[in-house]
Amino acid sequence: MKKAIRIGAIGAITALLAVMYVWFFVYNKPHQNFEMAKPEKVLSASQCFENFSKNNTPDDGKVLEIYGIPSSIETADSMVVVCFYFKKGMFGDEGIRCTLLPKFQKAASKLSTTDTVYIKGFCAGYNGTDVIFEKSSIINKDK
Amino acid sequence: MKNVLITIFIILFAMPSFGQRFITKTGKVSFYSDAPLEKIEAVNNTVNCAMDTQSGFFVVKILMRSFVFEKELMQEHFNEEYVESEKFPNAFFKGQVQNLKQINFKKEGIYPVTIAGQMTIHGKTQPVKATGTFAISKGAIIASGKFPIKISDYGISIPGAVVGKISENVEIHVHFNLKPLKQ
Repeated sequence: MKKAIRIGAIGAITALLAVMYVWFFVYNKPHQNFEMAKPEKVLSASQCFENFSKNNTPDDGKVLEIYGIPSSIETADSMVVVCFYFKKGMFGDEGIRCTLLPKFQKAASKLSTTDTVYIKGFCAGYNGTDVIFEKSSIINKDK
Repeated sequence: MKNVLITIFIILFAMPSFGQRFITKTGKVSFYSDAPLEKIEAVNNTVNCAMDTQSGFFVVKILMRSFVFEKELMQEHFNEEYVESEKFPNAFFKGQVQNLKQINFKKEGIYPVTIAGQMTIHGKTQPVKATGTFAISKGAIIASGKFPIKISDYGISIPGAVVGKISENVEIHVHFNLKPLKQ
């Protein structure tokens, strides 16, 4: 009888731990920390845009690091977007648009459109106009 | 000389058919679905939208991977199992403002609008008619509206295990702050 209770208790605890594991690490697993993620590729912004616009080697769905001289720093609602433009089209300037993580929005005001900047982020893909980087961070190469 | 005159003639006659183009690249599209299993909500803040005030042409481009969900697992399922973002990375809408004559783009105010067109999601195209408003203020057009879609119309299937627990109908909300395109 005692043995049956012991087996039952172990079974119940195992089931509870399994449910807790699924709840915390599967169902409620946190979003990826893109600031800490290692980039799968480092390339120039112009090369990245060319890869997508010519459908050469698309890197969508990957964390990438790009570098180049930004064309503009745009703000919209609560977003700050670092833009690298290479051509004009139906939607005006076309190129790469990197939406910064809130943590880096203040630092964006110090970026100039004359110096090279390094940006790392999740490359969501190419919408036929621009290559979109989400959750981007500014990489400080002076460190 | 004859060719030059013909070209000038074509340009002069073609010009009035192009109005001012308004665009945004930070448009917001969100969707909401309430179901017994759980409510599903996601938002995309990097949507491209363009509109021509003369012709009423209205176009929207949505990158599917830019939708953000509260739960990472939902986001993964959305991209991998439902909309298959790798295979169909973009959704499109191309349409026309139906009541263009009732909108005075030079006068500030809120105008009700109806837009009809074709929407492509998951590689499938369906006709869509949406109602909403154009709020014209300070030289910008704020276009907002909502419309329902049925996900099975776009070839998106719900896995057998969760059929009945996830809603077939999804409500799409759009909000575009359109500004004049600087040439």
